[in-house]
Amino acid sequence: MREQVKSETFKGSNKNKGSMKIYISGLYSGTNPQPGVGIARSLRTAFPGAKLIGVEYSNRCSGIHWKDFDDIWLQRPWEEINLTTHAEEIRKVLDSGALWISSIDLEIMWFARVFPDGHPNLLTPAAAALEQIAKPAISAHEGLPVKIPTFVTTEISDWDLHAFCRQHDWKVWLKGPYYEAVRAGNWMEFEERRRILSKAWATEKLFLQTHVSGYEESIALSAYRGKLLDCVRMRKRDLTELSKTWAGDISEVEEDFLRPLREIIRKLDWTGGAELEMVRDADNQLWLLEINPRFPAWIHGSTITGRNMPAILVEGATGVRQQISPVLAEEFTRVVMEIPVRSEYPLSPLPEPLGGEIGHSLKHPSGLIQFASRLHKTDIFNEEITEENGKTFFNAPKVPASFIDDLDSFDLHEMQTPASLFLENTASGNFRSASELVKELSSDELNVTNAYSIKTNPDERLIKLALDSGFLAETISILEVKKAIQIGFKPEQLILNGPGKWWRQEILPEGKFYSIFCDSIEELEQVLEKLENGKTRTNFLGVRLRTPNVRSRFGIPIDTPEVFEKLIEAVRRIPKKYKFAVHFHMASSNVGVGHWWHLFESMLRWCNSIEALTGRLIEILDIGGGWFPEDLQKDSAENFKKAIALIPEFLPNVRRIISEPGKALAQPTMAVAMQILELRNSAETVTEAVVDGSIAELPMYFFFPHRILYQNAENGSWKSLSRGKTRLLGRLCMEHDIVASNVELPENAQVGDILVFCDAGAYDRSMSYVFGRG
Amino acid sequence: MYLDAGSNNLINLEMSSVAKAVPAFEKKRVFDKWKYWQPSQISHHGKICCEIAREWITATDFSELNGDCLYTGPRWLRQRFKWGASAFPIFWCEAVRRDTLDCGALAAISHEVFRVRNVKTYRVQVVQKFSEVAISQWTNSWNEGNEPLPWVNDDLIYHEGCAIETANRQLKVWDASAGWWLDPKPASGYGALLAIRVSGNNLPIGKILKWGKYNLQALEWREIF
Repeated sequence: MREQVKSETFKGSNKNKGSMKIYISGLYSGTNPQPGVGIARSLRTAFPGAKLIGVEYSNRCSGIHWKDFDDIWLQRPWEEINLTTHAEEIRKVLDSGALWISSIDLEIMWFARVFPDGHPNLLTPAAAALEQIAKPAISAHEGLPVKIPTFVTTEISDWDLHAFCRQHDWKVWLKGPYYEAVRAGNWMEFEERRRILSKAWATEKLFLQTHVSGYEESIALSAYRGKLLDCVRMRKRDLTELSKTWAGDISEVEEDFLRPLREIIRKLDWTGGAELEMVRDADNQLWLLEINPRFPAWIHGSTITGRNMPAILVEGATGVRQQISPVLAEEFTRVVMEIPVRSEYPLSPLPEPLGGEIGHSLKHPSGLIQFASRLHKTDIFNEEITEENGKTFFNAPKVPASFIDDLDSFDLHEMQTPASLFLENTASGNFRSASELVKELSSDELNVTNAYSIKTNPDERLIKLALDSGFLAETISILEVKKAIQIGFKPEQLILNGPGKWWRQEILPEGKFYSIFCDSIEELEQVLEKLENGKTRTNFLGVRLRTPNVRSRFGIPIDTPEVFEKLIEAVRRIPKKYKFAVHFHMASSNVGVGHWWHLFESMLRWCNSIEALTGRLIEILDIGGGWFPEDLQKDSAENFKKAIALIPEFLPNVRRIISEPGKALAQPTMAVAMQILELRNSAETVTEAVVDGSIAELPMYFFFPHRILYQNAENGSWKSLSRGKTRLLGRLCMEHDIVASNVELPENAQVGDILVFCDAGAYDRSMSYVFGRG
Repeated sequence: MYLDAGSNNLINLEMSSVAKAVPAFEKKRVFDKWKYWQPSQISHHGKICCEIAREWITATDFSELNGDCLYTGPRWLRQRFKWGASAFPIFWCEAVRRDTLDCGALAAISHEVFRVRNVKTYRVQVVQKFSEVAISQWTNSWNEGNEPLPWVNDDLIYHEGCAIETANRQLKVWDASAGWWLDPKPASGYGALLAIRVSGNNLPIGKILKWGKYNLQALEWREIF
């Protein structure tokens, strides 16, 4: 499309090409360039006689040396520039009849405030339009055939952020308010990258957005006063390491996209360039990532194909006819080239590397980050985001009522801290719910049974609860077998699993195990020998599988045809008197909930192949999850129902499913009480507090955030700590002994007050260690 | 790309009679040399050895999908197998153990994994233009005697892939050797796709499929320009 532009809407002195003066700001030309140079090249093609003035805020931006600029208006960096004076100078420039095309998002936002009613020569969108395209919601997208990837603000509690990451399989991007996006594949990475981005952009207001796999494409457009003048689609055909365009092809925008786009531009009363950045997934669905309020850096690529967007904008604003750009190709690419440096702007020396650091720290040479920080102090960036697709979050995590009931039964001030607290009602409630769930899921054809993984927390109270709740017990050593038997389990209620299950076999008890799962083909051969020699007995004999594309050290790795064939041969050799079973375990809290369910289905397919190729029927399926409690509780019945419905499709002979909820059961059952030893203040804020607990009592601190409760010393009431700026330092004299970051202590917090770290009943307990106790 | 398997399956037309039927003035088309070639097949011994191999490929494919859309191209195959000469006939139990597979074998395996995913899938044969340098390289590396390769004709090559049918009879054509989807755009020059043919056991003669702006008739070669 290309609109016929009406002549003479422009009021100014720029009525002919010769006298036309156009200011273009944003000339950074590194590997993540601004579009200023591309705009200048395009305008030079269309208006050879126009005077093009490049505007920059650092002489390190190499675009200032580009030959198409007749002049350079070099300003002081954003960090130090007097914005009031600069605004007045720009107003004079615009009043004189010159046009201004900005390539800098932050500058465009600032213009919207400086020129609330716009200016006919300022070719950038107004504040109201910018609000409508604000990331990540991009409310202006309504009507376009696109979806917005799920997102959430990082202002909510860490507990909820961790849940968001799990729900989206840790395929998430942490994004800055204007620029920058980094992957966060686990909690430690997330915490570190959030710290860096928050510090850089001087805000906690970042957001997490789900990754969309697919091919990137953009629509670049030109509009003046709500009229869409032209637009093109660009598909990225080569990318930089930062996924920025290096080559692309240009094509027409289809009518089903164009129609709503035209309407949106009209409603926004848009002026200027814009770019809609999108990803097209394998199902052909377009996902809108952002709308940039300016031309893209590749804009001259469009001009090469005969579609000169900057020129049609100038033509639309002034009525001055452009010289039509020739069609040179349908595709474009970039090259790296050296150009002469303007003698009036000689190169500056390189800054000194910071002591002990590598490199010269030249990112954002014009000081955009500092500019963002200055703008943050204004009111235009104070939008609240507390929703993810309609779901409201809070910055203090919710805590189940049973936690409070249990905690009220302790006199914490009389206890020696740090103290591990067993939340009895919570624990019994959890085991009861798990039992009820498997009863609900069982049928005449298929029995579903729970098993308690003793290693998760070998506390006798939990093992007893498992026994009383009709669980089997999963053991990984003969010592665990012995402990389970001591508590009341019978051998036929025990599952033997893991790579070192025969450790301490000299104390192997008499009796027949429920099931033995072998971790390798070699072990399968050994166990068969033991069984044949009468050294051990079992009802079911099985294998643990490690399906391809899974990072794990456990199970038989069937990622080569050779191993798979060996497995098939080994299973075929198992005497028929042993019933065959398969075990599959993967921590969903690490791989994500969606990915876990994919792995489960993948495992069913492998089992189906094994049955078909061996002629052995799989009668028991043992599935372990490493589930986060919330993930198992949340729609767990529904998810399990779906899973169980899927099993007969692949494995019609399975008669029993063993579910190992693992830490989903144990994690909420214990907490660690700590006492505040010291409060450290800075500018009237508590920035750090030292507690008498440590990572020795909370070793999983690095893997997930814990909910923290503060007990009011006067009335004993509990408060869930919300996000804040305080770090809680452990008592150990170790650099990494920080038990919580970004929490807010109540104003009346005092030395001696009690903090209770919840969610410490699984590996926090079983892997805790003695340290710094003399 | 050498298609011994393809030549095994050639429709054994009496070439002389076909040749006689073609008027001398008829325009030579880019696909003429391969007009009667059939897509390569992976053979099956009818024994467990091939069944294990086939099951391993298709189960691995689902694991490698990582929960993504079923239309996602099985690029993992190209990470596992280098592109290079394959001797035909090739059996499943041999193919999975090879370091290198040619375009026909890779396309046949890709076709199988899409089929097992329950995606409508077809075989695709194409003619592409390359350069003398590329042809010379392939001729040297694919056979020691520098014999002309049957899949090469001057600067043109015969190549195989597979296609999937998505919504509204739209085709996507998977180049299993390259690990990318072929672009339904006319092009000239290095790597340009000049002709395409879609076939498949499940594809009725005369069925029209859309590939970009092109209507492709099943089992018919179509020049792209």
